Formats: sequence, C-alpha cells, structure tokens
Amino acid sequence: MVVDDTGAKERAVRIAIADDDVLLREGLASLLARSGFDVVGQAGDAVALLTLVREREPELVIVDIRMPPTHSTEGLDAARSIREEHPAVGILVLSAHVEVEEAIELLAGGERIGYLLKSRVTDVGEFIDTVARIARGASIVDPSLIQELVAARRRNDPLALLTAREREVLALMAEGCSNAGIGRRLWVTDGTVEKHVKSILTKLQLPESPDDHRRVLAVIAFLEAR
Amino acid sequence: MRNAFRGFVTSACERRSLARRRRADWVVAIAGPVIITAVLLPFGSFFALSSVLLFVLLAVIAAALIGGLRPALTAVAVGVLAGVFLHVRHYGGLRDPLGVDLAKILAFVFVGVAIAILVGELTRLAAEQGALRRVATLVARAAPPDEVFASVTAEIGLLIPADTTQIYRFERDRTASNIARWSKPGTDLPAAARWKLGGHNVTTLVARTGRPARIDNRADGTGEIGTEARAAGARTSVGAPIVVEGELWGVAVATSTGGRRFRGDTEARLAAFTALVALAIANAESRDELAASRARVLAAADEARRRIERDLHDGTQQRLTALALELRATEAAVPPDMTGIRTQLSRTAKGLAAAVDDLQEISRGIPPAILSKGGLGPAIKALARRSAIPVELELSSDTRLPERIEVGAYYVVSEALTNAVKHSGASVVYIRVDVDDLVAQISIRDDGVGGADPTRGSGLTGLQDRVESLGGTFEIANSVGHGTAILARIAMESGDNGRR
Ligand SMILES: Nc1ncnc2c1ncn2[C@@H]1O[C@H](COP(=O)(O)OP(=O)(O)O)[C@@H](O)[C@H]1O
Ligand SMILES: [Mg+2]
Repeated sequence: MVVDDTGAKERAVRIAIADDDVLLREGLASLLARSGFDVVGQAGDAVALLTLVREREPELVIVDIRMPPTHSTEGLDAARSIREEHPAVGILVLSAHVEVEEAIELLAGGERIGYLLKSRVTDVGEFIDTVARIARGASIVDPSLIQELVAARRRNDPLALLTAREREVLALMAEGCSNAGIGRRLWVTDGTVEKHVKSILTKLQLPESPDDHRRVLAVIAFLEAR
Repeated sequence: MRNAFRGFVTSACERRSLARRRRADWVVAIAGPVIITAVLLPFGSFFALSSVLLFVLLAVIAAALIGGLRPALTAVAVGVLAGVFLHVRHYGGLRDPLGVDLAKILAFVFVGVAIAILVGELTRLAAEQGALRRVATLVARAAPPDEVFASVTAEIGLLIPADTTQIYRFERDRTASNIARWSKPGTDLPAAARWKLGGHNVTTLVARTGRPARIDNRADGTGEIGTEARAAGARTSVGAPIVVEGELWGVAVATSTGGRRFRGDTEARLAAFTALVALAIANAESRDELAASRARVLAAADEARRRIERDLHDGTQQRLTALALELRATEAAVPPDMTGIRTQLSRTAKGLAAAVDDLQEISRGIPPAILSKGGLGPAIKALARRSAIPVELELSSDTRLPERIEVGAYYVVSEALTNAVKHSGASVVYIRVDVDDLVAQISIRDDGVGGADPTRGSGLTGLQDRVESLGGTFEIANSVGHGTAILARIAMESGDNGRR
C-alpha cells in the first residue's frame, strides 16, 4: 500500500523493472515490494520489457538506459516505444550518467517521466518517494543534472537577476517539485513559494505553465539554452 | 595543386635563363673569333698566324663553357675561316708556305675540337649534377611527391633537352596515369590523365619489361599512347622505369618532336632522376604508414578507454549499487531496537554510494555516449556547462562528422578547455567549431595570461599527435598578455600522396 500526501490508502502501483544486472534488478524488486509496490515482472533487455508491458500492463516501468545488445541507450529507445504504444504508463529511466539532451527528449514525450542517476536507488527513502510521485503523474529530473545546469557559468547570465532563494526555487521547479513540494523542502508556505515562482517567471520571461510537467520541461529547456 | 604551380614557376624561370644563355653562346661562337682576328689584324706582322689562332681558342673555350659542344665547334669553324683569311691577306693567295700554315690550322682544329668536346662534356655534367642536386635537396627535405614530380619533369626536360617530359604511374587495371608533365613553351602533347597500356610505345615497353626503353622513330608507334603521341608530332621517346622498393611503380618519359635523336646515354641520365623520384615516393609512403600506425595506436588507446568506462559502469558500478541495495534490505530487516547495527549498515550503504560517485569521476574526459549519439554539438555543450570559466560557444552546424573526427575534435576542446581553466586565469573562453564539406576547424581562445608551452606538459603534445594522425594541422598561437588560441583543422578526407 502507498500512503500519499493526504494519507488516503490506494491500491498498490503495478511496476515492471528492466535491467540486465540480475542482482540489481532483484534488489530493486525486493525494495519496491517491501515499500508497498506490486512488482509485476522483470526483464533483462528492451525487447523483453516491451513484451512484459504488453502482457502485464504495469502502471510504471523502471528501465536501465544501458542494456544489451549494445549497452548504449537501449533504455531510451524502449521508453520511446512504450510511450507510443502505452501513453499512460509512467517511465523512470535510470542512467550511470545524466545528459540534458536525454532529459529533454524524454520529457518531450509527455508527463509521468523520471530521469535519475542509478546510484539514487540506494537512498531508499528518497527513491521510493520519487517512484510514488511519478506514479501519481509528476515528472522528475535528477538533482545533479539540474545543479549542473544552474551552476553552468555564463557571461551576461540571466540567472544573475534571481536572488539566491529564487535560484533554489528554480532548481526545485526543474527537478519536478510541485509548489507544495517546494514549500515542504524549503520550510516555507505555499503562498511564499507562489510569490517566488511568479517573480522567477517574470524575471526570466518564461510563460506560466498549466501543469508541473510542462513547467519542468520549460525550465530545463531555458537552462539548457541559456 | 600549389606544389605543381611552384614547380611550374621554377621551370619557367630556368627556361628564360636558358634562352638567354643560348643566345649568348652563339654570339660568342661567331663574333668572338671574328673580333679577335679583327683586333689583331693591324699588328699582322707582329702576330703570326699561330698566335692569332691561339687567341681564337679562348673564344672556343668560352663558347664551350656557355653553350656546350655545338657553339664551340662553330667557333672552331669561324677560327679556321679567320686563319684562311689571314693567310690569304698575307700572301695575297694560297701560295708557297701553304704547307706550314695548313699544319698550323689543322693543329688548331684538332686542339679546338678536343677542347670543345671536353669542356662541353664538363659543362653538361655540371648541369646534370646541379639538376640532380636540386631534386635531391627537395627529396631530402621531404617535399610532397607532387612537388618532386614537377621539379623532375622540368629538370629532365631542360637537361636532355626534350620537348616534353612526363611521369606516369602504372595502375592495377593496365592503365597509366599521367601525374606530372612538363613541356617546352609552344610544344604540346596530349594531356589525358589516364591511358590504356598496349601497343608499341615507350610507356608500354617499360611497363612490360621493367627496363628502360627507346623508340627513335615514332612513325611506328601504336596503341592508345603511341597513336596519340604520333598525332601530336612526337619523333623520338625515351623512358626509364621508376622502381619503388623493388616494385615497378611507373615511368619517366622524355619526348622530342624535332628531328634530333636523343643521345645514347639518355636512358642512364633519366635513371639517375627516376631513382630520386622512387626515393621520394618511398619516403612519402613510409611517412603515411607512420601516420597510419600512430592513428592505430591512438584508436587502440581510445578503444581501451571506452572499454574501461563500459566495465566501470556496466560492471563495477552496477555491482556496488546492487550491494548497497542489499545492505539497505538488511538494514530494513534488522529489528528497530538494534539501532547500533542499523546505523552501521546505513553508513556502509552511504559509503558504497560515494564510491559509485568516485567511479563516475574516473570516466571524466572519456568521450561520453552523447558524442556518438548526438554529435559534437551536445557533447561540447556539456563540456562548456561543466567549465569553471564562462564559455562562449559558436557551432556553425550540427551535421554529423566521421566518428574519428568527432572524437578528435572532442579531445581538442576538452583538453584546451581544461588548460584554460587550470592555467590561463581567463574571464571567458571562446569555442568555435566551423564545419564545411572539406574541413572541420576547431578553435579555442581564452583571454588569460597566455604562454601555453607544449614542452611543459603532455596534454598539448598529445593533442598535436592526435590531430596530425587525422591528417590535420594543430597550431598554438601565444602572445603573453593576450591569452592563448588553439586552432585545429582536420580535413574530411585525408589526402593520399600519389599512391595507388
Ligand atoms: N590556456 C593556457 N593559458 C596559459 N598557459 C597555458 C595554457 N594552456 C597550457 N598552458 C601552459 O602550457 C603548459 C603545457 O600544457 P599541457 O601540455 O596541456 O600540459 P598540462 O596541462 O598537463 O600542464 C602548461 O603547463 C601551462 O603552463
Ligand atoms: Mg593540459
């Protein structure tokens, strides 16, 4: 059972896992099962994952980016295929290193997307929370990638217009936090968060986004193009 | 192209100076004896016939030195006329002491001809040695084969002298490619690039026998080459093989359209030059082989790096992550009241995660997957983002390049950017990548202290090797106080140095 923000009980989220490393796959599966998810199947490569998705209809797949046969970006290709065939299925891509181009490509495919460093899975509490949020519709990008984007040095940097606090808020927006989530992280009220967000969007001349997913995409695209 | 042009310029200069010398030798040959005779005439009784002829010998030597055998012989002839003229003037006709004067004149002719032949031969040898030395100098300083070809055709043409000289390379498909040609102004032989071998002509003879060949009467030339040459008025041709490291590579052919035959030793003289041509080709080939082997070494090192990176990510890192997960599972299974064990397990799991991050650092600098997947643009953007100095990036296009060039360019940008951060104290780094159909230009410029010096580290030297192994050029522009600029230019196709 998963307990969400409001404390209401939900049916266990059905998850499929694809990773060519059996040990890691099993570890992930038992972690998720322990945390109240329903692991409906495991796959060792992209082809097996697609079959699994067709047969067991999971709500979320967790997929390693590097899998046989070439160990390059099979996971990304699998994610694209799943998006086309089963648009409602959430996708969490795990990678040994994160690239902004890949994040943007994934996010452009629609909501319910996660893109994380693989090592995040060992920070169990945080990881389980991330999986649950994606299952509920959020899009989440690894904080280290956002840090890199925000920290990139630029001449005439538009980010120089922001206060230190606003920059923190911007990074959390890019990571995929909702206003409520940002408030909880920074120990401020929703109202304060909203004020910061408005100010950021004005200063950076970004359009207001109707949902968190589009907000993530817009902020990352802005940071990348800056 | 440029080299061929340079060759042309040299030969044009030499042609002009040759024309000047030709005129001078005839002037000396004819006017010399006449003037000497005229000057000595008033002292007719004082200077005996033999003395005058001795003075005329000076003109013979001068004509031989300047113009060789023919002008010298002409001077001898003019000298004989002068002698006869003096005799007739003295005696009013061919009279009494004729025997004595005839003997004197005959002696003069004998000595004059001997001098003409000796000096003429000497000057010819000197000219040949000079030409050989010039070509040898080119070969020794590793001039591109094209330049050597252009120089050799011109030198042979002037030396023999011929109306046209050409160098052909024999191809595998029984054709010969014309790769260099020279012709006397006003002469022109057909200039097709490629000829079918066969029939009776010098090129085919050399191709068949691997030995020098000569055809003195082109009237009986046949085959594609023979027919064309005949049509262009060629009379006589000599060819000498070019043998590169024991293999017949091609032929040098000299052709004359005039009536004169080439001397009997023309083959041998050609051979002296074709030996140098062969040396130049062999050198260029071994240089190319060296470059290719350097490229292979680099490629092997790159491949090893990639494999290490793969092993790290797909093996070690994966394994460590799985172990950390297992520790977490154990931690969860430990009863809540055993806090000591729980904390310890948690600490170990965190330590493992940190080790994973360290591994990530090790693979920094190795071209990332995004390079092969997305090309230079995204990969360089990622480098720029991670730079501690602001980067101004200009990418002319996002077309994909051959992999070896993308990898080379990536290393150039990566190392130069690292250097700027480490050594320059710059406030900004400008990175420019210009790509067109022919060449990729990568420039990295900073506004720091300058003074990049390849001898003080291994990074820049490594880059130079890498770029040159791709057939490119690598320059470091350094001016203290104005920062450092690094420019690498890599051609899309690496040239082949006149090889098959
Ligand atoms: N952009 C630069 N600005 C100033 N000095 C530089 C720059 N790049 C290189 N250098 C100098 O040239 C030397 C050689 O550089 P390199 O071959 O890359 O070796 P390394 O970086 O390992 O010292 C450096 O030690 C440094 O003194
Ligand atoms: Mg260096």
